[in-house]
Amino acid sequence: MRTLAACLLLAVPPLAPAADSQWILQQGTLTYHVSHPLHQSEGVSHEVRGKGICHAGQCDFLIAVPVKSFDSGDSNRDLHMIQVTRGAQFPMVTVRTKLPESASTSTTIQADLEIQFAGQTAQYKQISFQLVTQGNQIHITGTIPATLTDFKIDPPTLLTLPVKNEMPVRVDLTWRPQ
Amino acid sequence: MRMIQLRIAALIGFCLFALLSAAQTPDTPTSSQDAQKPAAAQDQKAPDSQDKTQSGSQKPSTPPGDLPNAPSSSKTEPSLEDLGFSASQAQGDLKRQALLDKRTHMLKIHQRLGLIAAIPITASVITSLNAGGKNTSTASRDLHAALGGLAGDLYFASAYYAIRAPRVPGTETRGPIRFHKIMAWIHGPGMIATPILGIMAFNQKNNGEKVHGVALAHGPVAIVTAGAFAAALLSVSVKF
Repeated sequence: MRTLAACLLLAVPPLAPAADSQWILQQGTLTYHVSHPLHQSEGVSHEVRGKGICHAGQCDFLIAVPVKSFDSGDSNRDLHMIQVTRGAQFPMVTVRTKLPESASTSTTIQADLEIQFAGQTAQYKQISFQLVTQGNQIHITGTIPATLTDFKIDPPTLLTLPVKNEMPVRVDLTWRPQ
Repeated sequence: MRMIQLRIAALIGFCLFALLSAAQTPDTPTSSQDAQKPAAAQDQKAPDSQDKTQSGSQKPSTPPGDLPNAPSSSKTEPSLEDLGFSASQAQGDLKRQALLDKRTHMLKIHQRLGLIAAIPITASVITSLNAGGKNTSTASRDLHAALGGLAGDLYFASAYYAIRAPRVPGTETRGPIRFHKIMAWIHGPGMIATPILGIMAFNQKNNGEKVHGVALAHGPVAIVTAGAFAAALLSVSVKF
């Protein structure tokens, strides 16, 4: 009995493994913007899914959205978008990033993103995002300065005029702990 | 006293040994899985990209719909399957991509021919001012007829590519393209009726007759046709 009690007292807390936590994307919206001298066009997707796994103070996030889920209000334009971005061949856009677990308490974070889209991988360094805590949820907004050349996309043309290379993507995500 | 200290030291050593033995667990192999397996090889910019295509990826036993709420495995990176995307959703479809490529190619030709056809159509409308009336020269009428014929040829060549462009299954027509397609139901029959009525009017004029009967409709039908054609062109060119 004394041996058992001594062993229980000597159970060292640092030997216990660090607790993992997870984050789930509650809801999200991605919006791309394309500029042309005759047209300004935006495509919106609400079919974003995401998950973050935190371990030892570091979190790995994955956000993914199907290319065909973007809606610009014109079915013909959406089909051309899927074609020019090789969306049938590479149907998913994925975004991966690593953040410290302590970032959830900040109001602004700088994230390094790795984006897979149209069969290409592009890295974006120090992208600024704003965080707003709403109860146990975190609302994140920001803009990714993507370009067509980053993903080797031939710029679509209208009346022989090509669209601009810049294709900023607005991000609006709400995360909750799992 | 010394005996008591020795006993305590032995006890501590025994308990530590027991705890260490219990804490040792065999290493579980972690494999980063990525359900996105494009049909063609990706041109990776980052050589140390985390995405790896594996032939032996883990297959979760729970249905995809329950995966977002299921605890992940011991690996630290989430995967597309963790998000609830099935392998078929992440899998590329080369046939569909080829279909889209062919569709875009044909619609680009349709657009080019349609824009070119707008030139003789516009010229025909302008030369129609001198093609009718009492004292019109044969040359003016011939020019108007030639431009009309050229306009018709280019129009139907453009229409061919639009009609024959492959349809994408499961797509609902939405937005300005709907108006563009609706206009085709006006300028399509109009481009058939206009030259027929024009030939009738042309023959009557050549016979020295005043244009009469159904041939009188050539002008109004041509104007409505040209108007619908212009509206169709503008609907996909500028944002209203």
